[in-house]
Amino acid sequence: MSKKIFIDFKRCIACKACEVACEMEHGEARIRVFEFPDLTSVAFNCRHCEKAPCMEVCPVNALSKDDDGAVVLDPLKCIGCLMCGLACPFGIPKIDEYNKIMDKCDLCAHRRAEGKLPACVSACPTEALKYGDINDVLWAREGKIVAELKDIGDRTNVLEAYLIR
Amino acid sequence: MGMAEKRISVVCPWCSVGCRFYIVNVNGYPKKIEFDYDHDIRNHGKLCPKGVAAFQHLRHPDRLKKPLKRVGERGEGKFKEISWEEAIKEIAQKLSEIKEKYGSEALAFLGSERCSIEENYVLQKLARALGTNNIEYVCRMCQSTAVAGKGMVLGHPGLTNPFEDILKAKVIVLWGYNPAATNPVFFGQYIEKAILDNNATLIVVDPRKTKTAKYADIHLQPYPGTDLAIALAMLNVIITEELYDKDFVAERAEGLEELAKTVEKYTPEWAEKVSGVPAELIRKAAITFATAGTAALLTNEGVNQHANGTRTVMAITEMMVLCGYFGKEGVMSGAIPGAHNGMGAGLMGIGPHELPGRFPLHAEEHKRRIEEAWGFKIPEKPGITYVEMIDAILEGKLKALYVMGTNPAKALPNLKKAEEAFKNIEFLVVQDIFLTETAKYADIVLPAAAWFEKDGTAISFERRVQRSFKAADAPGEAKPDWEILVMLAKELGFGEYFNYSDADDILREINRIIPPLAGATPERLKKNLKGCMIPCPDENTEVPRLFVQGFLTPNGKAQLIPVEYKEPGEVPDEEYPFWLTNYRFVGHFHTGTMSHRSKSLSKRWPEEYIEINENDAKRLGIKDGDLVRVETRRAALVLRAKVTPHIREGVVAAPWHWDFNYLTTDVLDEYAKMPELKTAACRISKVEG
Repeated sequence: MSKKIFIDFKRCIACKACEVACEMEHGEARIRVFEFPDLTSVAFNCRHCEKAPCMEVCPVNALSKDDDGAVVLDPLKCIGCLMCGLACPFGIPKIDEYNKIMDKCDLCAHRRAEGKLPACVSACPTEALKYGDINDVLWAREGKIVAELKDIGDRTNVLEAYLIR
Repeated sequence: MGMAEKRISVVCPWCSVGCRFYIVNVNGYPKKIEFDYDHDIRNHGKLCPKGVAAFQHLRHPDRLKKPLKRVGERGEGKFKEISWEEAIKEIAQKLSEIKEKYGSEALAFLGSERCSIEENYVLQKLARALGTNNIEYVCRMCQSTAVAGKGMVLGHPGLTNPFEDILKAKVIVLWGYNPAATNPVFFGQYIEKAILDNNATLIVVDPRKTKTAKYADIHLQPYPGTDLAIALAMLNVIITEELYDKDFVAERAEGLEELAKTVEKYTPEWAEKVSGVPAELIRKAAITFATAGTAALLTNEGVNQHANGTRTVMAITEMMVLCGYFGKEGVMSGAIPGAHNGMGAGLMGIGPHELPGRFPLHAEEHKRRIEEAWGFKIPEKPGITYVEMIDAILEGKLKALYVMGTNPAKALPNLKKAEEAFKNIEFLVVQDIFLTETAKYADIVLPAAAWFEKDGTAISFERRVQRSFKAADAPGEAKPDWEILVMLAKELGFGEYFNYSDADDILREINRIIPPLAGATPERLKKNLKGCMIPCPDENTEVPRLFVQGFLTPNGKAQLIPVEYKEPGEVPDEEYPFWLTNYRFVGHFHTGTMSHRSKSLSKRWPEEYIEINENDAKRLGIKDGDLVRVETRRAALVLRAKVTPHIREGVVAAPWHWDFNYLTTDVLDEYAKMPELKTAACRISKVEG
């Protein structure tokens, strides 16, 4: 089953705990918080696309999907040609200037191997970052609304309440 | 020998939420942190950026590793290394000499909210053994108005309820407090859940639209330090519209009539003129608050750090009393100390008018009991408070200052004056982990172990007592603060009173001396990482909610003492037309001793800037990113401008982690001696070129 990091924009307070946690694990932060003038903020990392352009263009097959669906880089195969960085619609893979190979989020493969959450998700104080299967995460988020619908039965009121929110 | 990797549970050294996590150490060297999802702890495993980076400063090359003796001018920062024996001998000799020549009143000690309760306990005991009550800590500059104000109304200043209660609150008021930046874990795990998941209404009182105010249903933006006007007007609305809980007030409070008479003139329309907040908005906030059923009202330094701070705290607390929001589930009232052991240090008796246990100095029965246990007399004369110490040094009354783990040369208001004092003091000792701004003036600097390098106990703002364990070796010859103090006590000839061989010994004495802490024994805290909430009179007891039966005033009733309006210490005029206030970055802590030396933090929050409203900026010809000169009657700073709609017109704001306190005034609150740290009158001009 493919697992990803989902972002609840509503909950992000731009504290950058995710960036610092990622930097602690990997030496360089692979997630970044973008802040906008109206005080909204978005933590943004690799989307680990179902049909990942970075993987498709890699000439040496250095990128592959692991069992959890994360797009991971094999540093021994990478030749630093930058093709993945060019192909990525989100500009995620970056060149590691020191080693001259690419660097990208692997959903903390070493932590997942120990049964832990990715570092950014572990840290996030507001739980704006969630790690899991899309159906589970969606159900956790929307389930409350569905439960309210069942509970109250009055569809108009609930819809109003939902729209106001 | 193999690489022995160990996980040790520690309490976070930054703010006062009481987060726990693990330090992973390899043969005594801290390798990384790990999140604690194994235990039922307050942060549920979560951490803010400071928490995640909490070990970065530990191995910074600036760490003090050997005792130092000054060789250059004061403030220059030139020192030579000396041995521990020489350092302790010289300090003991000099303190004794000064005591002999000028009397014990010429000595003063500063404790620290960043050290353990054990260390603060030992420090105040040493001060008293030397015959002085000149013992203080930085609470005077963050929480003292809250302590005084809530003390007068309720008899106790502590946070009233456990964190979980906030999830059940119908309305949350965050007054002069921006938890999204100061306590992100508390905000995310409790406040944000109450708002987003449980539909609590949020009222924010803050001149800036903060990350917290983003979630507000009602946002009041008063001029800094005019919060008292808002509180009085809300009291006016609650009383005149009879929105208060009549049964509760009749049964558990006294003084309503006097209060009603006093606030009669403080209408929302009057408050609008003083604070700049529309009267209708104040009225709406008052009605929303009073009719909610359950409410959490949390304040912080935006309320506290003003020369009218105590009055504001009293008025705000009286709002809670009137509405009957005490002693129940789903309510909360409190001020949030900045540092992880702010509450603990105070409870240890680090106060010029206080005995251990926060008993007043004149509480004869307790005094006798403590004297008997200690074996020596506690001096009679009350000591002098933190900011007043500066004047005492300049007047030549205070000759020696012993500073443990705190940085007054950057934290005090009106810093130029403070620097003058540190240049002129006869003898200054600083015991810290880095060569702080204060240490640069010291005669002797002692290298202390940092928080993760020793066993110690801290008390979070939830009144929760938690043990932190030694997770790394201290660098060089650095030692835990309590160990240094015991060495000094022995050299001073007080060995028999300071017979401790580890932190447990000290905690056991604290259990005996301070009744509300009797049950927080080393054994209990080691077994139970979640700790216990004080008062805990025995090992099986803790008190999650305060004021369930009565208040802690002498007659058990809340005192609705009438409060009259008073302006903050300095207000704008023609010459200095702007209100200046300050705020914090989520990634920095206080004077930056630790956070400025943390790579991941200083990279993300590299420099200060001054926020200015877009209309003010346009009028003054200032564009985003321009350098501007900010000038008050004390000093001037050049800062980069951040033009924003998120601060109200007429107000400018800069973070205080850098040089902000050169600008502030040292006018004091009349009850608590809190300086006016949060506002000053200033003028702004663009720096040309």
